[in-house]
Amino acid sequence: MKLLPFRRRRAAAAVVVLASLLLYGCTGTDPLAEAVNAGTSNYVAGDGSVTEYASAARGGTVKLTGKLFDGTTVTDTDWAGKVTVLNVWYAACAPCRAEAPDLAALHADFGPQDVQFYGINTRDEAPTSDAFGRTFGIKYPSIQDRDGKVLLSLTEYVPPQAVPTTLVLDKQGRVAARILGIAEKSTLKAIITDALDGQTPDNS
Amino acid sequence: MTDTEAKTQMPARDKVVLPKLGPLGMLRWAWRQLTSMKTALQLLLMLAVASVPGSLFPQRPANPAVVTQYILDNPATGPWLDRLQLFDVYSSVWFSAIYLLLFISLVGCVIPRARLHWKALRSAPPRTPRSLSRLPEYGTMTVAAESSLTVEQAVDDAAQILRRHGYRTRLHAGDTDHPSVAAERGYLKEAGNLVFHTALIGVLIAVAIGGMFGYRAQKLVIEEEGFTNAELGYDAFFPGTNFNPDSLSPFSITLDNFEVRFDRSLTNYGSPIDFRADMTVQNTPTDEPRQEVLRVNEPISFGGTNVYLIGNGYAPVVTVRDGDGNIALQGPVASLPTDATYNSTIVIKAPDARPFQLGFVGFFLPTAMVDEDGVAFGSDPDPMNPQLNLNSYYGDLGLDDGNPVSVYQLDTSGLTQLNGRDMPDGGIVLGAYQTYDLPEGKGSITFDGLKRYVALDVVFDPGKIGALVFTTLALLGLIFTLIIPRRRVWIRVGKHDDGRTMVEYGLLARGEDHGLSKEAVRIGSALTKHWKRTTTESRQEKS
Repeated sequence: MKLLPFRRRRAAAAVVVLASLLLYGCTGTDPLAEAVNAGTSNYVAGDGSVTEYASAARGGTVKLTGKLFDGTTVTDTDWAGKVTVLNVWYAACAPCRAEAPDLAALHADFGPQDVQFYGINTRDEAPTSDAFGRTFGIKYPSIQDRDGKVLLSLTEYVPPQAVPTTLVLDKQGRVAARILGIAEKSTLKAIITDALDGQTPDNS
Repeated sequence: MTDTEAKTQMPARDKVVLPKLGPLGMLRWAWRQLTSMKTALQLLLMLAVASVPGSLFPQRPANPAVVTQYILDNPATGPWLDRLQLFDVYSSVWFSAIYLLLFISLVGCVIPRARLHWKALRSAPPRTPRSLSRLPEYGTMTVAAESSLTVEQAVDDAAQILRRHGYRTRLHAGDTDHPSVAAERGYLKEAGNLVFHTALIGVLIAVAIGGMFGYRAQKLVIEEEGFTNAELGYDAFFPGTNFNPDSLSPFSITLDNFEVRFDRSLTNYGSPIDFRADMTVQNTPTDEPRQEVLRVNEPISFGGTNVYLIGNGYAPVVTVRDGDGNIALQGPVASLPTDATYNSTIVIKAPDARPFQLGFVGFFLPTAMVDEDGVAFGSDPDPMNPQLNLNSYYGDLGLDDGNPVSVYQLDTSGLTQLNGRDMPDGGIVLGAYQTYDLPEGKGSITFDGLKRYVALDVVFDPGKIGALVFTTLALLGLIFTLIIPRRRVWIRVGKHDDGRTMVEYGLLARGEDHGLSKEAVRIGSALTKHWKRTTTESRQEKS
């Protein structure tokens, strides 16, 4: 029945308020300006992690509609029976530039085998995108997605986490694998080969 | 002699018997130590000290690239600092240990107290003390014999009056000659205490939930552009410790138009009056797009996620042609304002220019004027005479090896300067729609137009509402605890041999209570008034 003396109770209140502030401080972050001054990379960089989904564990068919830089509309319905590689990129993104030659080479290798490649460009306008294509000899088209609409339709299937992100869709149009960060050439090649064979990590 | 003394004392000291605690006792002892207020305060201090390295060293969650660079620059100390988790201070083992202990300490301290207040809330008034005259407030009165008031009736009356004054009462009548009533008021103080203490636990849990499952992200959006609420869509992303990417609600925002109105009165000339961002938003990919207006302090809300307007600036639209005559870059490039007149720094990179990559660094001035020395300066925040002042470089921008680089900085280590203000030919000065041909046929740059951009802060804190509710409850509880007095009153009644009824009453307050003597007067006069009236009534009946 002894009551907590007032002074200690006030101390308790102060402790909790301060503790809350501090705990808040742990999660709080600086505004953009400070991040800029600290030299932020200005994009969320991936860790290169690879996630493959077993056939049974794959989500529904990816549904998306986008406009290519040349104005052509692409939709998922054109993709039936084909393996599709989607690569999220923009020209000034350093990791995207690092993986671009490998993507161009894989496109050259797999292009004739019913594997289609699409870039999803999140920042650039057509001339900048074309210049990037010239630099790295990229022959596949890119979807212009400066407003993030195409990304939005992809979040339903797999939440992409970083630029660059590479998704491989199987012949049914389902996400078979996701690579966050720079796509390593041999890894991506193996994933595409598996998708072509209709194989999944669990039965290969 | 001293020797023998020492010899006799030594074994005596060995014989000192310490109480055996045993493992359970040790645990109980440790728990007591941990949950003491002293420990909580020390832990709080440690938490403050432990967060200092977080501002001394670059932090991975905020910027992994800077950390990597720091370790490369400091090969001796870097790996050791990394091993000590000084680049991940807020998720490090030692920092977590401190705040978890603090959390346990506070909870362990608060729960037993809450239990005590719960008991106090339900307790009955305590027994009447033997000697009421020793209480801080004490009074007696006598009711005349002709009132024919029995002691039982007197005690009942007293109890009724006390109840009318908001007291909880308990009669001690029984078979004693001196029946009494014990009364207590101010139980709401205990309820307040209980609410305060339980709400504190609620606040702690809410804050922890926010820190664990929330996130904060930042995005710069140029007019006619937009973004999607995915980590991919952001410039910077700061997840909570247990953040799950699936919890991002899939909304999208497009900036249709951004307007800034500046004060044109002479007193505050040029200071901003209103920032207004017209947005098209979509809650989910399948929802209908709708229009929203975003202003400073008027966030757009998507469920629990709030989008705040935290900054803005100009994004000049440029076209860079390379040495081969191809367009290497076209589009708006965000500049960073450095002062109230929006004089901004700008970095333009054209990594796909051939044969050499091109880079530009300089200033953007919304309204350029030239002073008497021929140096351009910005004089107004509105774009009345927009101008780009740039130095140009060619060579390797350092983007092609895959290492993240800031878009707002030009790393000139692999670059050669083409021209600039400090060089004999001077730098590039571009007015609207003008083109500048770079020296040596390296290419050209054109200033095509101007857009504005907004910097957005996106915050998802699932614990926010809980924290608000519990903090409010805790405050209300505290107010009740502080303003409601807890008082006890005892009234004992006895009968004199001559038939007079003797009433004595005593009051006791819990803690300091300046209103106690007033309360004593109030109770005393209420009793007097009541019995005077009944006495008069009984007299009238008799007569």
